[in-house]
Amino acid sequence: MAAPSFLLLFPLGLLSAVRSASLMDPGSMTSSDPSVQAPHLTGCKSREQETFRCWWSPGSFQNLTEPGALQIQYWKKNDLTKEWKECPDYSSSVKNECFFNKNNTVIWIKYCVRLHSESQNKTYDTLCFELQDIVHPDPPVALNWTLLNISRSGLNYDIMASWEPPPSADVSVGWLTLVYEVQYRRRNSSHWKVLEHEFGTQQSIYGLQTGEAYEVRVHCAMRAFNHFGEFSDVIFVHVPEIPNKESTFPVTLVLIFGAVGVAILLMLIIFSQQQRLMVILLPPVPAPKIKGIDPALLKNGKLDELNFILSGAGMGALHSYPPDLYQDVPWVEFIELDADEPEPGEKDNQSSDSQRLLGHNNHHTNHGCFHGLSIPDDDSGRASSYDPELPDQETLMLMAALLSCQPNKVEPCLGNCSHSSTPSLDVLEVPCPGLQAPDLPPEGGERHLVQTQLGGPQSWVNMDFYAQVSDVTPTGGVVLSPGQQVGAPENTPTTKKDKKGKMEGGEEESEEEEERRTNKLKFQLLVVAPEAGGYTTESSGRQMSTPDPSSPGEVYHTFPPPSAESKPHQEAYLPATTLLGDYQSPYILPDSPPAQFLPPVSDYTVVQDVDFQHSLLLNPPSPQRSPTCSPQPPSKPLPVMPIGYLTPDLLGNLSP
Amino acid sequence: LTRSVVWAVLLWPCLVSLGVPLECKDEQGSIILCASISKEKLLDRVIQHAELIYRVSEESCTLFEEMFVPFPMRSQRNQAGYTCATKAFPIPGSKSEIQQISDKWLLHSVLILVQSWIEPLVYLQTTLDRYDDAPDTLLKKTKWVSEKLLSLEQGVVVLIRKMLDDDMLTTSYYEQGVAPYALQPEVLESVLRDYTLLSCFKKDAHKMETFLKLLKCRQTDKYSCFLH
Repeated sequence: MAAPSFLLLFPLGLLSAVRSASLMDPGSMTSSDPSVQAPHLTGCKSREQETFRCWWSPGSFQNLTEPGALQIQYWKKNDLTKEWKECPDYSSSVKNECFFNKNNTVIWIKYCVRLHSESQNKTYDTLCFELQDIVHPDPPVALNWTLLNISRSGLNYDIMASWEPPPSADVSVGWLTLVYEVQYRRRNSSHWKVLEHEFGTQQSIYGLQTGEAYEVRVHCAMRAFNHFGEFSDVIFVHVPEIPNKESTFPVTLVLIFGAVGVAILLMLIIFSQQQRLMVILLPPVPAPKIKGIDPALLKNGKLDELNFILSGAGMGALHSYPPDLYQDVPWVEFIELDADEPEPGEKDNQSSDSQRLLGHNNHHTNHGCFHGLSIPDDDSGRASSYDPELPDQETLMLMAALLSCQPNKVEPCLGNCSHSSTPSLDVLEVPCPGLQAPDLPPEGGERHLVQTQLGGPQSWVNMDFYAQVSDVTPTGGVVLSPGQQVGAPENTPTTKKDKKGKMEGGEEESEEEEERRTNKLKFQLLVVAPEAGGYTTESSGRQMSTPDPSSPGEVYHTFPPPSAESKPHQEAYLPATTLLGDYQSPYILPDSPPAQFLPPVSDYTVVQDVDFQHSLLLNPPSPQRSPTCSPQPPSKPLPVMPIGYLTPDLLGNLSP
Repeated sequence: LTRSVVWAVLLWPCLVSLGVPLECKDEQGSIILCASISKEKLLDRVIQHAELIYRVSEESCTLFEEMFVPFPMRSQRNQAGYTCATKAFPIPGSKSEIQQISDKWLLHSVLILVQSWIEPLVYLQTTLDRYDDAPDTLLKKTKWVSEKLLSLEQGVVVLIRKMLDDDMLTTSYYEQGVAPYALQPEVLESVLRDYTLLSCFKKDAHKMETFLKLLKCRQTDKYSCFLH
């Protein structure tokens, strides 16, 4: 009998076995001789808490093997008498078993059973228990399983195992409350996987593999006493492999390869078109610039050249203005409009048509303009708004960023900012990033770049940015001069001077203009034709008035006479810059322009045409112009477009 | 006071307008505050409590046994084992007898059992605290059981009131409680005493659960409960 060794092997941790209400033979511990076993009780068990049985073993004693030699006696705690009673029923079918039926069983009351030999009057073994502690329920019945689901890959599946409580256990009444434990294993495995205790009558098993055979069994115990009964019959679970899982595998492979291929293709495209993609995705931030003006100039502080260009000396640079920006309104009409609304603040400057042009910007839609960008515009009299739709403030900001080379001075209104008519424009105190000119020309030079008028009536855009038409040659050429007096050796027509003076006379900047004039302000209007890198062919502007060709390092825009010069000659010194491009490479013109540069004249000029090389023509051959070669006297409004100005519609007829 | 009155006045229409019996979601201890809970629900909750108490008591007993009880004295198979204190009234043990017990008697028995264990459990807690290496879980469990026992008592009182329409005083049965748990005189060690206490409590918890379940069976299906 293994009971002695069973008890001897009890470690402290095997409490469940210790607590086993089967009460496996306590009495055998006394035997010292394993070969000789005394009679002992092997255990008492109850199946349903209503009856119980006890078994004993006679041991190896020879004289007790006959039946009847040993008796089982018991007594209950609540017995009135303290007598041991005989086993009520020795079961006939099983040897050495005593059966206590329901009439004799009570729960919650201690029983004591002893193995007694009457003949010897000796008790070999005693066992005390309470009925509820020795319940080992019958196995559950009707164990079955249903398939819950199969994984996508078809490799795993889940099942739900269900059963019913043993019929002997009176669960419905609540006499027994059972807890179940399900175990399963693979067919050929020897280790059972134990699932958690389940109080219901079903349990789900997850993660079974298809194609494998499993065995499932369940047993139950009375709750809180944890003496599990016998196991139920084993059921077999088997789900065959699903064949179509094979077919899904290549599909996934194809998908994976396809995705990889597409990714590789995308990478190739990206790498091959990297430049373009970079441009598309990360458009280059436009550097602060004025169209027609090299941003490098702005940065390097070459204010003289800048002023020169912007003043209109380099008129040809601005012909790249897209034609569509031009309204169909003729320039003349614009001028007329300007004349109709004289600025309140400018009393002195009414005479100056350029003044008017410059100052009447607020009445027109083209509010945004670049100072000095003598882009042919319908209101080209105003200093060149390259973007008519640009709002004032934006222009202000833009111009401020571009042109303000002084930290404090910001060009608030570079475009059509009427000095007097736009009082609302605020001068933007924007530092000039990158435009700081460390080597600014003397103070006057600073000024002439852009005039900053704090508050109040905005100073007119610094005339310096415009190539002011100082004179018109008989041939139709326009003599341009920068904004301020550069001290050109040639005489500036007094009218021009006066005009110029009048243009700015009314404003506070008259003194500034003086200063400017004294400076060598040279705008550099860079017009570089992208195709040819040619030069502006300003036919009419040939007779440009460059303030100081001898200024070192200055870049000025000369307008070669329309007829006299040939293209190559023009190209010699006239760089043409398209204004359309984002980048305008500066084109320094080291050579001096033709000697016919005139003293500073009008502050601006108007591009009248764009030639095939996208050069601005300041004096187109169109007869539309009024024959008057000289600009109107400042006092008079310009009813017609003077020679040297480009109407927008003319731009469409680019004449090479 | 006026504020509470105002609140009551304000909230009362809400309760009435709902037209749904107020569900008492709290523990049984707060059932009294609930306006209405059905008998079945209350019985279910009481049974839940009893089941939980039974389970926890069994776990506590096991824990205590593992930690402190020497091996030979375990699992109550010692003939000279403990004897739980007898109650003031006998509780039938056989199934047939129990099934014949009336509802009233069942409920009252449960109540008596619950009330008789309130004090001993408190006493047990204090003794367990004196143990040097009592595991925290054991202390928590016993503490939990004491609390739940009180809730169970309240629930059973309400249940009695509802099912039996018997309004009775809950304190009348406290006299039967045994404050110092009487044990066999030969058991002197405190360990064994406590072990006995836990075991007896486990048994009584089982009794409570069984009675309540039997009661529930009768509520749902009177006939099948007597078939066996």
